[in-house]
Amino acid sequence: MSGPLDGIPMRCFQGVVPSTIATADCKGIPNITYLSHVFRIDDRHVALSCQFFNKTKANVLANPYASVDLMDPATLEMYRLELRFDHSETSGPLFDTMSMRIDAIASLTGMSGIFRLISSDVYEVIAASYRNGVIDHTLVLPETPVEPRSISEIRAVQLISQRTSRAKGLEDLMNAVLATLQEAFGFEHSMMLMLDETQTKLYTVATRGYDSEGIGAEVAVGEGLVGSVARDKRVLRMSYVEAELRYGRAIRAAVQKTRSRRDMLPEIPLSGLADAQSHMAMPLVVGDRVLGVLAVESRSPLAFDEWDEAFLEIVANQVAVTLDNMLLREHEADFEVAQTSNAGTPAKGAAPSLPVKRFRFFKNDDCIFVDDEYLIRNVPARILWRVLREHQQNGRTAFTNRELRLDPWLGLPPLRDNLESRLVLLRKRLADKCPGVRLLSTDRGRFNLEVECPFALEERESA
Amino acid sequence: MGTCDANLKPEGTRAVGAVVAPDRARITVFLNEANSERTLANLAVNPRAAICFTRPIDHRTVQVKGRVLTVRRTLDSEKPRLDRYLSAFVEALYLVGVTRATGGRIAYWPSMAVEITVEDLFHATPGPGAGGRLS
Repeated sequence: MSGPLDGIPMRCFQGVVPSTIATADCKGIPNITYLSHVFRIDDRHVALSCQFFNKTKANVLANPYASVDLMDPATLEMYRLELRFDHSETSGPLFDTMSMRIDAIASLTGMSGIFRLISSDVYEVIAASYRNGVIDHTLVLPETPVEPRSISEIRAVQLISQRTSRAKGLEDLMNAVLATLQEAFGFEHSMMLMLDETQTKLYTVATRGYDSEGIGAEVAVGEGLVGSVARDKRVLRMSYVEAELRYGRAIRAAVQKTRSRRDMLPEIPLSGLADAQSHMAMPLVVGDRVLGVLAVESRSPLAFDEWDEAFLEIVANQVAVTLDNMLLREHEADFEVAQTSNAGTPAKGAAPSLPVKRFRFFKNDDCIFVDDEYLIRNVPARILWRVLREHQQNGRTAFTNRELRLDPWLGLPPLRDNLESRLVLLRKRLADKCPGVRLLSTDRGRFNLEVECPFALEERESA
Repeated sequence: MGTCDANLKPEGTRAVGAVVAPDRARITVFLNEANSERTLANLAVNPRAAICFTRPIDHRTVQVKGRVLTVRRTLDSEKPRLDRYLSAFVEALYLVGVTRATGGRIAYWPSMAVEITVEDLFHATPGPGAGGRLS
């Protein structure tokens, strides 16, 4: 069954060029204003976001009719929606979906809690039509070449499925996923983040397509686009991000006139590409547990469509299940591994002629610096410190995951502790900042420390 | 420009230009004739109009409310003014990511000129102050 909204391109609903809404009060006094976003619920209903109680809302409560003009951002062609206000929702799936988008922008523009959704106002679409005469069709637009998908859709799903199920370890899995997203769909800029043991932060464990790898970069849950996805366990797809931020900044400027600046936080820079115009982020969820977030971005304003969203959701679900199984399997296998003795022969000894690497552990900040450069913090920092100290004191080179899990100083939770992802992060940070020190997997649940340079350890209370 | 018919059904149409009269109490709003039929029909039965002006780059927005004084065909001699208005608008859209080729397709001629006497001015920039009267 088709409804009046069939045939209107979905990009018209992405809020790039603001839509207008005309209403009237009971005396016949019209009101017209701009809307940030028209949310398409189904082919007969739309929802408009109400962030501030305004004249539009007052009018439709008294006289339910409204007229909205939607503009196609690619062509500026216009569609007319004749609406009748139906009801407002202040909770539930629709409200949560609309709220998440607004919260993400509020967070990025430093206005969490100030700029928020009051209600999702649901309207019935009485009629929808193309508006003739808006565009001069004698002026023809140059055609934008559409890049074909590089491989067929089913083949892409097959590739992802095959590579994730055959991944030998966490690092292998992450690299396979990001590489396949690029290969199959041209998602050139992607990252994977994992939730830490405090459940309050996400840390970056794998990236693809960035000048700087950004491994170890952290995002608070609920903050920005990626943090919102982890908190709400929902997909977030945003196009024309700059337009969304501009809208947020307009409100910020208006708020500054009426409230103390202290109510507002500084703007948070977007992670990843400085000039990204499209973002899409998926939570990696198993049951009701969030494991992490898979995020892609692009400089193209309309890079991701509904199809990409659906596809990435399939990928994210598959990755989440594989990841969870991998972490659980690895944890169980650990307890079958006997404690390795200290007698292991060093795989590689330190070459005394190389300059001494100076590692400093700052207890209060729970972080390690190497030669005055920040290396890593929290759990992976404690792992490294434990391993280096053991090596320095006893000459040990062989370690097991099990002993790390049993060490209360490391503070790993009893189950699903993300140890493997912490080791991946630690390995990548070492490779980037101190390639002379390596942690190499030797077998399931075991790893060796390889040290090519002499090192010194120093513990301090604070920097 | 927002208008409303005798049954209180509202309607909006995109204006393609505006000129403030020297007395600053009247505004002439230009509408593209090809898509302003309903607006003009509404104004014939209900002279009240709302006009929203926005600057795309920062969403600075004001709303003008008033009553229609006259409706007429835009004169050929006024076209250069509309050309300039639209050129400036295309540049404003370009700043927010709409290509000039796309912006340049906005149809605006032939046009109708709607003269309005200004009765009220409101802040309409998104935010908590939207809807407040401009002093």
